Amino acid sequence: MNATPLYEVRNISKKYGNVIALDDVSLQVMPGEVVGLVGDNGAGKSTLVKVLSGAHSPDSGEIYLDGELRTWKSPHDALSAGIETLYQDSGLAPDLTVAANVFLGRELKAKGILGKLGFLSEKAMDVRAREELLRVGIAVPSSTRSVAQLSGGQRQAVAIGRAVAWANKVIVLDEPTNHLGARQSGEVLEVIKHAKTQGLGVIFISHTLPHVLEVTDRIVVLRLGKIAANAPTSEFTPDSLLKVITGLSGSN
Amino acid sequence: MTVESSPVQEQRGARIRAVLLRQDVLLLVVFIAMIAFFSILNPRFFSAAAAANILQDFSPVMLMAIGQAFVILSGGIDLSVGAVLGLSGVTTAMIIRDQSANGSDPGVAIALGLIAGVVVGALVGLVNGLLITYGRLAPFIATLATMGAAAGITLVVTGGVQIAGAPRELILLGNTTYLGLFTIPVMVVIVIAALAWLYVSRSKFGRWTYAIGSNSFAARGAGINVRRHLLKIYVISGVLAALAGAFVYFRLGSGSPLSGRGGELNAIAAVVVGGIALTGGIGRLSGVILGSLIITAVLSGLIIIGVEPNWQQVVIGALIAVAVGIQGIGSFKGRTL
Repeated sequence: MNATPLYEVRNISKKYGNVIALDDVSLQVMPGEVVGLVGDNGAGKSTLVKVLSGAHSPDSGEIYLDGELRTWKSPHDALSAGIETLYQDSGLAPDLTVAANVFLGRELKAKGILGKLGFLSEKAMDVRAREELLRVGIAVPSSTRSVAQLSGGQRQAVAIGRAVAWANKVIVLDEPTNHLGARQSGEVLEVIKHAKTQGLGVIFISHTLPHVLEVTDRIVVLRLGKIAANAPTSEFTPDSLLKVITGLSGSN
Repeated sequence: MTVESSPVQEQRGARIRAVLLRQDVLLLVVFIAMIAFFSILNPRFFSAAAAANILQDFSPVMLMAIGQAFVILSGGIDLSVGAVLGLSGVTTAMIIRDQSANGSDPGVAIALGLIAGVVVGALVGLVNGLLITYGRLAPFIATLATMGAAAGITLVVTGGVQIAGAPRELILLGNTTYLGLFTIPVMVVIVIAALAWLYVSRSKFGRWTYAIGSNSFAARGAGINVRRHLLKIYVISGVLAALAGAFVYFRLGSGSPLSGRGGELNAIAAVVVGGIALTGGIGRLSGVILGSLIITAVLSGLIIIGVEPNWQQVVIGALIAVAVGIQGIGSFKGRTL
């Protein structure tokens, strides 16, 4: 592929003390492409997610969005550039309502002088939260309920819905099917396919290899902080993928 | 995918809202019961003069509790507010004394003193915030350190003696009541409490405070500048404690280096009695206003019925333990049911 990647990181390295979490890692995603990122525990997936989302800065390496060199000083920079991240297990504030979570960091202000004074328009946020979630295929009966009152699957639905609703370029999903039942996982995969048809670039991190093989176009395997494989999904079988992850064989 | 609503959960949502409302009603009932209790033991408690007095006692507790409410909602704690009250109070007193001695207009002297005190409070708050955000200290440790430092500096600059020399206008400002109940500082506190209530519940600033206390990682992930927000919160807490210090001084007409001692205990008690969870993210400012009224009524009531003042802190400590204990039972039930 010679087209410009939508989002790309090149030669990323990151150390925590003496531990090398990422060693010269490169990854790219094209518009409408779903890239699977897999690897054993401690392979560096979470660190790479944090670099992609702007939560951590790499020690060395470059980040390109639409072919332009960028630096993220905080998640806020990456969010404003259209890159949404769903963090594993901790993406929502449980004491806030569904609507407050969907609009967290992007609150709608009240009209006129009240808005200038910092007051919020709760009604508009409730209505629009429901609309935005519906648009990406998630139906919420009550957006005014606190997230702590939802089941695990429902929370995950809201978290994914929020990320997909706001993303206008790239969405990074860290273990979105964790702790979910078969039916709910299937629904998450549908949301990913939906995002793909919208032309978003999707980076999908998961331990569940059948999900990765089902939904991705390309798979990147991390092992001990390095890229162990990077190839179209069609070149992998469940067996060969597992072998690369565990280091029993290398490819590329 | 669908987020299904089961009737059970709808009911539970309604029940939680009802409980929150009931919490305010319950606090109001406790407050009224206490007034009745103290009034029966000593009828003087139930008079306009006593009420005006209680409102004056209420002012510093309310101001410190508002700052403390923001801090605790964000998942922190500010132990330095009492010491800031003392340090800012004597700063205000010393500036006003010196200005008056130099023949400044009393209004100018008071304004300068007030500004100086507030600046000192803001600085201590800023140091707290910096230690917590950039220094990565636990709020408990950071504010314990500044509490000690501020109390020490207060003793050093005053030599441990009271700062006298307040102009007559200042004592009038601090003690003239309108409608038989409200001094100007009390009215200022009521306005600040009303504004804080609106801001905590209806503004972006309040929303972010809850979000950080509920899950600071999620807040940062949502693009909120958590450090900057926490800095603002600790500065607000310092400024409000400084204002409390000035108002205590306006009332007494002399700046005591010991005046803030134990103030943090009252503020924390008002916040937790008001139903704010020490773990952050949960609670309402309406509860804190009622909590402050209850704490003040307890403090004044104990004196009026003749309990030795040294027992006050024991009672406040017990109130904190009971309030947190009740919250714990509530959340325990919430988790298991």
